[in-house]
Amino acid sequence: MSMMDARTKEAVRYLGFGRQEADEATLAMVARSFEELKTAASPRIVWRIFDLNPEGEDSLNIGGMKIHSKSLCRNMKGCCQAVVLGATLGAGVDLLMRRQSLTDMAGAVVTQACAAAMLEEYLDGEQEEIGRELEREGKYLRPRFSPGYGDFSITHQRQILSMLEAPKRIGLSMTESSMLTPVKSVTAVIGVSAEQEPCHRKGCEACEKKDCIYRRNEG
Amino acid sequence: MILERLGKELLFFDGGMGTLLQEKGLRPGELPEVWNLEHTEEIVDIHRQYFEAGSDIVLTNTFGANALKFHSGDYDLEDIITAAVVSAKEGAYLGVHDDREVYVAMDIGPTGKLLKPLGDLDFETALAAFGEAARYGEAAGADLIHIETMSDMYEMKAAVLGAKENTSLPVFATMIFDEKGKLLTGGDVAAAVAMLEGLRVNALGINCGLGPEQMLPILEEIMKYTSLPVIVKPNAGLPRQRDGRTVYDVAPEEFAASMRRIVEMGACAIGGCCGTSPAHIRQMTSLCRGMEAGLPVRKTDTIVSSYGRAVVLGEKPVIIGERINPTGKKKFRQALKDHDMDYILKEAVAQQEQGAHILDVNVGLPDIDETAMMKEVIGELQSITSLPLQIDTVEPSAMEAAMRMYNGKPMINSVNGKQESMDQVFPLVKKYGGVVVGLTLDEAGIPADAEGRAKIAGKIIAEAAKYGILPKDIVIDVLAMTVSSDPEGAKTTLEALRLVRERYGVRTVLGVSNISFGLPCRPVINAHFYTMALQSGLTAGIINPASEEMRKSYYAYCALMGYDSNCEDYIREFGNARADQSASPVASSLTLKDAIEKGLKEDASALTRELVKEREPLEIIDSELIPALDQVGKGFEQGTVFLPQLLMSADAAKNAFAVLRDKLEESGSSAKKKEKIILATVKGDIHDIGKNIVKVLLENYSFDVIDMGKDVPPEDIVRRALDEDVRLVGLSALMTTTVGSMEETIRQLRKEKPDCKVMVGGAVLNQEYADMIGADFYGKDAMQSVYYAQRLFEK
Repeated sequence: MSMMDARTKEAVRYLGFGRQEADEATLAMVARSFEELKTAASPRIVWRIFDLNPEGEDSLNIGGMKIHSKSLCRNMKGCCQAVVLGATLGAGVDLLMRRQSLTDMAGAVVTQACAAAMLEEYLDGEQEEIGRELEREGKYLRPRFSPGYGDFSITHQRQILSMLEAPKRIGLSMTESSMLTPVKSVTAVIGVSAEQEPCHRKGCEACEKKDCIYRRNEG
Repeated sequence: MILERLGKELLFFDGGMGTLLQEKGLRPGELPEVWNLEHTEEIVDIHRQYFEAGSDIVLTNTFGANALKFHSGDYDLEDIITAAVVSAKEGAYLGVHDDREVYVAMDIGPTGKLLKPLGDLDFETALAAFGEAARYGEAAGADLIHIETMSDMYEMKAAVLGAKENTSLPVFATMIFDEKGKLLTGGDVAAAVAMLEGLRVNALGINCGLGPEQMLPILEEIMKYTSLPVIVKPNAGLPRQRDGRTVYDVAPEEFAASMRRIVEMGACAIGGCCGTSPAHIRQMTSLCRGMEAGLPVRKTDTIVSSYGRAVVLGEKPVIIGERINPTGKKKFRQALKDHDMDYILKEAVAQQEQGAHILDVNVGLPDIDETAMMKEVIGELQSITSLPLQIDTVEPSAMEAAMRMYNGKPMINSVNGKQESMDQVFPLVKKYGGVVVGLTLDEAGIPADAEGRAKIAGKIIAEAAKYGILPKDIVIDVLAMTVSSDPEGAKTTLEALRLVRERYGVRTVLGVSNISFGLPCRPVINAHFYTMALQSGLTAGIINPASEEMRKSYYAYCALMGYDSNCEDYIREFGNARADQSASPVASSLTLKDAIEKGLKEDASALTRELVKEREPLEIIDSELIPALDQVGKGFEQGTVFLPQLLMSADAAKNAFAVLRDKLEESGSSAKKKEKIILATVKGDIHDIGKNIVKVLLENYSFDVIDMGKDVPPEDIVRRALDEDVRLVGLSALMTTTVGSMEETIRQLRKEKPDCKVMVGGAVLNQEYADMIGADFYGKDAMQSVYYAQRLFEK
């Protein structure tokens, strides 16, 4: 299984296999699902850089958005700017999953996991590119941090979407209860600092919920 | 009047508003519309500059001024809109220095929310909000309604209908496409144009998203499909980030040069969007003024569309799937009565996979509320298939409700030559758009000869013209009569097809299978008649796409007539036929129990079909299915079987059950179902995959699951639990923000139906949380709900 590519590994993890190896049938479904997502998904991203100012102990201000969150403050320590981003795989994935739920529930669950992995991979790629641009100005990116991680409330999504004009720019919006629509979407902030952070802990490992069955293997 | 000039001469719009406001100090996230009252002079000044730069039409600063987007504690929406229109008029007073006529367009942008079924915004709520804004605009003196930057066809439809129902102003509509020519929600140019023309907007086009150069291919595509005046309003290039700001870098000269090309390609109303300034517009007007502009070439294609795609009823025949129809189908009738949406949706998915291009939808039964059912079915269908639908009903209220909420330009089945029918149906087609099937019968019945039927077709086409409905939006059904009772029936139909095609140039449709009624081996007659009809000019056969004989006819006809390049479709369909027949699906040593444990769906069906020849269905369930499911469930609990495997087994078991159920029904008995269980994803929550997993597993164990879907209000759940005397309700929630709805649902259930137990599950929950909100049981995974239900009901 050492030949497994990164996103397959991620998808298998989301499917709850933990440290176990996935069986062949599941791997075949994962491969098929990534294939289907090629046509169903149309990934889009919108991002902007805003100034970041600490406001007291556990709060900060990003481009006018006031956020009270210990975990985010920890993540953003030493940053004076932040990339605010929104990304989505588009409505086609929602439709695909809905269709599969009717006749192929296993397929729907696998698609859900693959789409999550695909979105992460897409964001990693985009983040790398943004990082490369910023490095030329001597700036470095921290790991991205999304509303819903730690005590960074998901209700901030409303403001993030509006700061980015995300509905108009990439068709990303949210429901009254702060759920992103289309379903396979993400908003996040990424700290920008003048110093390179030695430890690049990613969102998953940074989480306090250590007993989570979806937790990425560390080390 | 603007309509007297539109499409006859080149008209100039203004440029960006948001970009200029940002320069003047508008902060990100601040509501730009508030400036209409707080910085009126700035707004007036921007309008003045555009009029001075040569704009004929300026848009009011009301892009986000609708009740769904504009939330301000300090200002009233009507005041904001009134001030916006007044400012634009004042801008005209200050900026127009000659006697030319100029216009103020009430600008309407998107709500920023996604409509159901993808999001949580109700279509009628959106329509009402747009209507309210349009009404204020008209009252304040706007000359037209300009709807722009819509990335979702459905929201666009709500806005157009809102504007039309609430004002008598002309309506312009422009959409935002990406570089691939797709809307953000997936629709393409043809689908959007078809819908907008159907809704009878006065002009349509593109704005925002792209610079002028990137818009050229999309404009080309628009010109291919529309007959209406075309509007183009590009950004000043693609947005880029510079020093934390969004900038656009196409300069005025370059912009103007591109706009010249855009006019040459056929646009007759041009302007700019984000990043364009009065300088851009000035360059554009001085470079383009005097250019000729007019209407596109008039198109005669018959097109229907869904939110995702358009289907052209042209030379190559198309297949309309007939299976969503209760007539003569016991199971389908039962599904409608039981409200079994899954059954109906599966028919749709199957027909799509079998090659249907359009799906006929008929849900008429004497004892159901057809309007409500039609709305529900159309909504559900449009959340799983992007095939255009044919709304098939004789009930006018069901027809209107379906046409109103349909996302796209539907096909409508049908109108006929009776005056009463035409009086009823044509106003709906005029208002909502659509391609309507015209049946060649009238007050005197169905003419026995072809000439009589052709005459009725002529009458229908002429009457439609009175409503402005063009022949391209009418397809004629010359009716196929049963050949066993009328020996001349088939010949008459074929002759009538030819006549109608030749005389009126319209497309045709036919319910083919009628022909063989009362005869043995019906597929043979059907398929031959189908080929003959195609040869006589049939455009769209309403057929069963699962029928092997019909498929053979269709693909053979297309291959023979040159509609299938390199016979690709034919080869794809039939190239493997031999291999399929010889391959035995079942490995000899495999048992049904093995097949289910391994999650082999096809093998499970095949093996079950073999087993029922020798053994009783109920015995097979007890000795094969249940032990297999138990085994897999146990493995899941012990961590040796994982979720995808568990579900593959569940899907395989489902297939086996389907075979057994058919067998039981054949013998007159039916599979006993256990107790009813309601499943729902709570209000506010739109993630339903977890609930769907639980449903599949509960059904495996024969529980009678009532799936209420997602985003379900507490009251609805309570009502259903009372109506059907349900003793167990399963609720799912995925977000901290929706656990509140879960708690509320439990509270109401406790009050109204105290004997009903509640189990809960979902990513944000744990035992502690579940206890706190008063649930009876917390299922940490899907199997736990099965065990709980078993325990509960086996007591």
